[in-house]
Amino acid sequence: MSMLPWIMAACLTRAATAHHSTAEFDYTRQVTIKGTVKEVQWTNPHSYIQLIADGAAGEQVQWSVEIGSPSLNINMGWRKNSVKVGDVVTMNLSPARNGKPYGTLRVLTFADGHKLEGVAAKIGAGPGPGGPPPGPSPAAPAAATKAP
Amino acid sequence: MLPANRSCLLLCLAVLTASVSGAADNTRASTAGSQALLGIWVPDAAPRALLTSNGKTPPLTAEAAKLYAERRQRLAKGDAAFDPTTWCAGPGMPRILTMQYPFEIRADANRTVFIHGWYRWFRTVDMGPGTVDPPLPLTMGFPVGHWEANTLVIRTSGLIDATVMDASGLPHSEQLTLTEHLRVLPDGRLEDRITVNDPENYTLPWDTVLTFHRDANARVTDDVCPDRLARGEPAEQLPKAKTAVPAKAAASQVAASVKPAVTPSRLAGIWEPKTFGIMVPNAPLSAAGRDIVNRNAAAMQSGKIMQTAWVSCRPGAVSTMTMPREKIVILESGDEVTLLFEMPRMVRRVRMNASHPAQLDADYVGDSVGHWEGATLVVDTLGFNGYAELDARGQPTSAKLHTVERFTPSADGNSIDIDTTVEDPEYYTQPFTIKRSWKKSPARHPFEYDCMENPRQEDFENAYYVRERYRPVCMRVEGEGMAPSKMVCRRPE
Repeated sequence: MSMLPWIMAACLTRAATAHHSTAEFDYTRQVTIKGTVKEVQWTNPHSYIQLIADGAAGEQVQWSVEIGSPSLNINMGWRKNSVKVGDVVTMNLSPARNGKPYGTLRVLTFADGHKLEGVAAKIGAGPGPGGPPPGPSPAAPAAATKAP
Repeated sequence: MLPANRSCLLLCLAVLTASVSGAADNTRASTAGSQALLGIWVPDAAPRALLTSNGKTPPLTAEAAKLYAERRQRLAKGDAAFDPTTWCAGPGMPRILTMQYPFEIRADANRTVFIHGWYRWFRTVDMGPGTVDPPLPLTMGFPVGHWEANTLVIRTSGLIDATVMDASGLPHSEQLTLTEHLRVLPDGRLEDRITVNDPENYTLPWDTVLTFHRDANARVTDDVCPDRLARGEPAEQLPKAKTAVPAKAAASQVAASVKPAVTPSRLAGIWEPKTFGIMVPNAPLSAAGRDIVNRNAAAMQSGKIMQTAWVSCRPGAVSTMTMPREKIVILESGDEVTLLFEMPRMVRRVRMNASHPAQLDADYVGDSVGHWEGATLVVDTLGFNGYAELDARGQPTSAKLHTVERFTPSADGNSIDIDTTVEDPEYYTQPFTIKRSWKKSPARHPFEYDCMENPRQEDFENAYYVRERYRPVCMRVEGEGMAPSKMVCRRPE
């Protein structure tokens, strides 16, 4: 079997996650939401922010936004308390392919304008299906695209 | 030779020299203390609720006391979900010392390592000078140790507040610092006197004492907690003793582990992969192997998300080698080379100049024996359970898997080339070799990867499980509106 489809998959799926496949997010799309932080889960294998945002009809929608993992985010300037419950933030994200209010963070902007990037905005290629997490291995951030 | 390596060598030489030539009294005492601590220890009591050394409830603040009372009420009703170990997430410190599992202490000149019997956790204690400024909180924190006569003193900070202090839910904050004094008592038991300082939750610092004993039959094995959940068993349940190693061999293991290192370390230190490999190209798949890879590909093409052993938090040793991530600590001590992987978290034990047992109990890491061929460490591993994929395509392995790894350090000592030869007649027509390289890590301390910390409902929707065993039991479900999220465990089918 040709390796090409797998390498292409790895190249095309911009990495944002640890632990699970990146195929569940549509990295060709971007969605911007604004809301109030309900919960911050600073956890492995993925860290999440639960955001309560206004829906299209004015209803409240809870978004699950993956932001990376503690060890990944720390290298990008985050600290555990960078985002707090009650913060009003704007999040630009790549949404899940299944259409649910679920996505992976590209850029988070606080009310005062300062920003934090999620791994989707930062990292090179992901592992594609079934493999280990992609990510900013200090050794070789972009090496995931290459078959060894 | 780089300064770091020169320092390492000098430290090794210093320890060895002190042990044979009678250096300063304190050094001699600490060397003796170090040797006495090594080996396997079994909890005397494994208390479910920590008490002070005077047998009293710790001096909780009013707010912490309220939280603790709520947790104890939940526990009385059978709800222990405040304890992350119930879904196999990291126990942290000191919770892991209150579990009923044995642990093993190993050491070299630069670090003391606690290898715990519960779900592959380990704790690496830096024995170098200086303090640590934790960049992020971890379950095990950032322990730094030194010797005071025959007592090992470990100070740990950077402990994440997601864990509990014990099974009863004793709380702590991230202000927590632990100061441990470990020594072997005159009766041969190990005492760990722990001073807890957490002004957010306790009105005063307080001490608790845990003790441990030797047991020649005790073993620290590869423990995979999610498999227990999948069988409908509690997350904390002492695994059955392996039958592969008879009591005689287990007893000799204790003796072997207390032998001092007699040769300078060749691989010891902290390493990290030079490249992040996820594919094993050109593997000579058999028809059966090709069928599986094609099936995986078809599932992916239909839009399914593939779940392998790696992503289901039970990676096998072979996939750790073919898809390495993050830091690897190597310890050369006594008759063993120990490989401690940060991500995926795994402990590999290589018994040097030993043979495989005649009967092997198959598991994820297999049984590894090693020897040196010049500067190359050769590791032969059998006894895999067949639950490991070689790469991101899910190239399979079977219980017939046999690997031979050759770890060759570079002349300057700054990298290691690893050739892993894979032989598995079930899925491959002939043996083949996978090449990887590691380089010296500038890190002083590895981070940790708590794979089971936050399994999310979203991750497992539309999943394709390469093996049914990989299906998760517990998942976090978000609460409606402002209701908090909670972990929900299903009853295994």
